[in-house]
Amino acid sequence: MRLIKNMTHALNDTIINIGQIFSRVKMIVNAELYVKDLPGHLVGSLEPISMVDGNIKGVVHDREQIVNNRISLNVTFEVEDSTRLKELEDIWKARDIIISSIDSVYKTYPMEYMLIGNLTASYIENLMDEAAKKVRVAAIDMRYSSKDHHDNRTAMISVKMREQEDIEVLDSFLRKACKEGNMTYIRGL
Amino acid sequence: MKVFIAGFGTVGQGVTEVIASREEFFNKRYGQSIKIVGVMDSSTYVTDSGGLDPLKLVSVKKETGKVGKEKYTDALKILDSVDYDTLIEVSPTDYKTGGQGLKNIIHALETKKDVITTNKGPLAIKFGELIALAKKNKCKLKFEGTVAGAMPIINLCHDNLIGENIQSIRGILNGTCNYILSKMDNGQPFDQALKEAQQLGYAETDPSGDVEGYDSACKVVILANSVFDRNVTLSDVSITGITGITEEAVSLAKSRDMVIRLIGEVGEEKLEVAPRLVPKGHPLAVSGTLNAAQIRSDLAGPITISGRGAGRMETASAVLSDLISVMDDRKE
Repeated sequence: MRLIKNMTHALNDTIINIGQIFSRVKMIVNAELYVKDLPGHLVGSLEPISMVDGNIKGVVHDREQIVNNRISLNVTFEVEDSTRLKELEDIWKARDIIISSIDSVYKTYPMEYMLIGNLTASYIENLMDEAAKKVRVAAIDMRYSSKDHHDNRTAMISVKMREQEDIEVLDSFLRKACKEGNMTYIRGL
Repeated sequence: MKVFIAGFGTVGQGVTEVIASREEFFNKRYGQSIKIVGVMDSSTYVTDSGGLDPLKLVSVKKETGKVGKEKYTDALKILDSVDYDTLIEVSPTDYKTGGQGLKNIIHALETKKDVITTNKGPLAIKFGELIALAKKNKCKLKFEGTVAGAMPIINLCHDNLIGENIQSIRGILNGTCNYILSKMDNGQPFDQALKEAQQLGYAETDPSGDVEGYDSACKVVILANSVFDRNVTLSDVSITGITGITEEAVSLAKSRDMVIRLIGEVGEEKLEVAPRLVPKGHPLAVSGTLNAAQIRSDLAGPITISGRGAGRMETASAVLSDLISVMDDRKE
C-alpha cells in the first residue's frame, strides 16, 4: 500500500509566517479594480504601480463590465514585497479606486527527486525539515512505494522552490544525504 | 587515400563494407577511391600496398574468424610495414588503460598519419595529449563515432554550431541502459531486462561498463574536452549507474507521468552521468536502444537530436562522415 502524504498546507503556513524574511523575492500580484469611467482615471490607476517600483505584466480594461459608472480593470504586476503592495493599496484608496480583489503569488520552480533505499517516511520527513532550513520551499509533496523484496523503498519528492538557485542547493543536500545513507539518488531534469 | 583498419570486429567490418559501397561517391567527389592497404584483428593481419578487396576481407573474417593468415605480436610493427595515410582505429575499447587502441593512435599520430577512431577509451583517458600530438604533427584526429554512433553530435557542434556559445549538452548516450530502462517502464525487473539485452546482443556478457555508467561517462569526457575545451578525464565525472533502479521506483515515476533515464550531462562546470526523472513526452524520454541529446546554445536555444547509438552500420556511418571530413581537408 502506498502512503501518500501531502505537506503542502503545513509548509505554506510556515512560509506565510516567515514571508517577510524573503522580501527580496518579488511578488506577482493580480488585482481587480473599479475605476471611474472618466478621462485620465485609467492612467491614474496604473501610475501608482510605478510609484512603488512595480512592473506591470498585463492589463485588461473591460468596458463591458460597468458597475456604478465604474469600469473594470484587471492588472497583473510585479512588486518587491508586501510593504510596497500595502503602499500601493493606500494610494489606490486615496484616489478613490475600488479594489474588488487582490491576490498575490510567488513564482516557483518545480523539481522532482527520488530516493531509493532502506528508508522510512519519518526519515524522509525529517530530511525535508532539515532541507527547509536551507532552501525556500513553497510546496512539497511526498509519495512512497511499498517495500521491495530487499526491504528497499522509494520516496518521490516533488518540490516547488521559491528561487531557482535553491534547486542546486537542495540537490547537493539530498545527494550528500543519499551518499551517507547508501541510497540511490535520482533527480529531475 | 590509403587507410589501415585496426580492429576487425563488427564496426571494422561495417566500415569496410561502407568503403566498398561508397566507392562511386568517393570517385565522384574526390576523383579517387579509398584503398584499404592493411587490416588487423586481435591476432592476425593482412596488408597489400596495392589495396585489398574490401568484400573479400569481410567474407574471410566471417568464414575463418580471422582477417589474415599471418599472426602478429607487435601491432605497431604491422602499422609500420605498409604506407598509409589514415588509421581507422576501431578496436575494442579499454576504459582503464586505453589498451592497444591508445598505442595504435599515438603511434599513427607520431608517424604523422591522420586518425579516425570509434574507440572511446583512449580519448577518455588521454584526450588532451592526443589532440596536442595531432596538432604538433599537423594531423587530423576525428572521433565522431565515439559518441552516440550514428547521431552526429560532435560534428554538429564543431561545424554547424561553431559560432554558438554552447552552454550544455545532456542526453541518453548509452543504448543498452536505455533499452533496460524502457523494458522496466513496462514492468520488467532489472535482471530480466538485462538478460534480454544480452540475448539480443545489446549488452556484453560483462555489462558493468554499460550499467555502471562508465560507457556514458567516457562519452561525457569526450564531449567536455572536444566541445567545451575542458581538460578532464574519466575520474572527474560523477558517475551513478542504473543498477540501483528498482521496479518500484520506475512505477512511482510512472504514476507522475515520468520515466527514469540514464542521462549524461556536460556544461562549463557540470560533468555527470546519473539516472534522472524525465517527463513523458520530453524529447529525452526516448525508448529502446535509441540515443538522444539536447544541445543548449546561446543563440539557437535547445536543439535535440536522436538516433541509433550503436550498431555495425550506424557506427560505420560516423566513420564515413569523418573520412569525408579528412578527405575534404586534404582536398583544400
